Amino acid sequence: MASLPGAPSSFRLSSASRSTVFLLYLRELRSALRERSIVVNSILLPVFLYPLLLWVMVTGATLAEGMAEGTRSRVVVRGVPEAHVEMLDSLRAAPDVEVIVPLGAVEEAEDMLARGDVDLVVDFGIASAREAAMPDNFSVRLSYDRSVERSRRARARATAAVTRYRDRWLGRQARELDIAQAELEGFRIVSNSVSTERQLGTLLLSELLPLFLVIMVALGCFVPAIDTTAGERERSTWETTLTLAASRTDIVVAKYLFVATLGLTAGVLNVVGVFAAIGPVTAPITGSSAAEFEYSLPALAFPVVLLGTVSLSLFFAAAMMILAAFARTFKEGQGMVTPIYWLALLPLLLGQGSEATLTPVVAAIPVGNVAMMLRDAVRGVFQWPLILETLSVQVVAVVCCLLVARSVLRFEDFLIGAYDGSFWRFLKKRLITGAPRSVH
Amino acid sequence: METVVAEDLTKTFYDESRGEVCAVENMSFACRAGEVLGLLGSNGAGKTTTLRMLATILRPSSGTARIMGHDLIRDPEAVRRSLGFYSTSTALYPRLTARETLEFFARVNRYPAARIEERVSELVGRFGIAEFQDARVEKLSSGMRQRVSIARTVAHDPPVLVFDEPTVGLDVIAALEMQEVIRTLSEERKTIIFSTHIMSEAEKLCDTIAIIHRGHLLASGTLEHHRRCTGKHYLEDVFVHYVRGGG
Repeated sequence: MASLPGAPSSFRLSSASRSTVFLLYLRELRSALRERSIVVNSILLPVFLYPLLLWVMVTGATLAEGMAEGTRSRVVVRGVPEAHVEMLDSLRAAPDVEVIVPLGAVEEAEDMLARGDVDLVVDFGIASAREAAMPDNFSVRLSYDRSVERSRRARARATAAVTRYRDRWLGRQARELDIAQAELEGFRIVSNSVSTERQLGTLLLSELLPLFLVIMVALGCFVPAIDTTAGERERSTWETTLTLAASRTDIVVAKYLFVATLGLTAGVLNVVGVFAAIGPVTAPITGSSAAEFEYSLPALAFPVVLLGTVSLSLFFAAAMMILAAFARTFKEGQGMVTPIYWLALLPLLLGQGSEATLTPVVAAIPVGNVAMMLRDAVRGVFQWPLILETLSVQVVAVVCCLLVARSVLRFEDFLIGAYDGSFWRFLKKRLITGAPRSVH
Repeated sequence: METVVAEDLTKTFYDESRGEVCAVENMSFACRAGEVLGLLGSNGAGKTTTLRMLATILRPSSGTARIMGHDLIRDPEAVRRSLGFYSTSTALYPRLTARETLEFFARVNRYPAARIEERVSELVGRFGIAEFQDARVEKLSSGMRQRVSIARTVAHDPPVLVFDEPTVGLDVIAALEMQEVIRTLSEERKTIIFSTHIMSEAEKLCDTIAIIHRGHLLASGTLEHHRRCTGKHYLEDVFVHYVRGGG
């Protein structure tokens, strides 16, 4: 079947048309940078949104924590033996604990706990003869409501107070027996993290960066893809573009490069934004100051991140443009392109936040594979065969999109903007059943 | 020398509900440099489809046309370089300034790069754009936009100009200005093809009037020729005569 005048038969560019593509590309870029929504979505949001969101989340969490710290836990303490009255005194001395004198039976105290009148019931018991390795040995039962934050917090506070008292008591007992406390205890669990601040910083970065990057590249492509297709239709400039002395291929390539450029820009700016903000923003979580936040990035991570970002930009640009090209208005375009934006959330489903790593199966899933590849790269893990698989899959996905675009552009009514329907309807009625290309 | 030659231009659309619809059938005509050809027809006659085929926006189902010797099927880009197309559906890029618009159209349509600056300044002066040349198109009034639109149509100095219903939606003064532009361009030896359904406009401007009805070219010739053939004086009567089958 014959093609339209100048309809793309392939996306190869002759040297003569490169200057035309460049002119068209510059025109798109110049127009886009004067549109507020594009500047906001492709430039400002990538730099500021996620650092800002992180800051809001961290600040909110810190604030909530601070407010919680200020509340006093209402604790009922029952059955404290004479030998351990000091325990009661230390609990009373704690500024965040309010000790309530027991009123009656255990059941009554537990009823109060269930009603929320108190946060914790501490029951002392003298250990049975069999359990008692020494006189006055004791056991403590903490009754609390796990579904209530206040109650959980009261348990943590009481546990800390009881543990401190237990240590002091054991120390006294050991001195009386003239033995080391460790001997009396039998064994003690001591935790020691071997990871450095730098390693923790790198871990945090590896979890945040790929997620933000994928979402930002998608967001960076989103508005430009709609603006350059559906937006042109809405503004009646699409036909103007078709009358330029440029081939259809040149026009499509210029638009595609323009959208991919803004996606890439959004991705790169986001990386810069994340690097600049991660220290100050996460300082309250890590307990270090902004200046102390450390991370290490292997040199090889940079080209991998760059390649991943480029592949994401090319993919999102192609996929979003195909769908947006079916819309007649910007608003319609937003509805049509949104499913592709959801793809950006795929990394979450692939366990981005877990210990999972790039596998042959994950590497075969577009978008998600890149996120996983980036996460590994930031952590200094380079599985070259899988990186190659990931990039190949991305290239195949982009080529598939371009082939679909080429097929779609051969239909005249689509090309001139007369087709009224979605991509999926077009796919079913035209590409699969093969309707005539000159359709009104 | 004939600058535009259309040979049996035919355009058939496939409509999902109506099946095949023939919008234009075997349309043939030719124009010379400096000639103004008016396609006169009622709504849906096939004027716009014909002009869109000449502008290579649509591909003819059969037949072809040559613009300055370039075949519109074999070399559509060369055709577009030789042609300026103006219609209400070809709006300006709103975020470019008037001057940037003219520069872009001249450059992309391959006007000699070394003379673009000079050409843009000439157009700015000629079409009275100087006052708002650095304002974005989206900020301009409709009258200002019309001037920029005409200027961008001729930015690359094409020998053939196609105007699709150029005065639709314009007030009387703006419509007269447009007619004046067409007349001036014709004096500059441009070939002008324009469509209209306004009889007075065709009478005033056209060297040749082609009457189109339901996708067919019913008659073509000068106004005098039509008068002689139909025995009617007013173009309106001539048109009705042809459309009712008198031709």
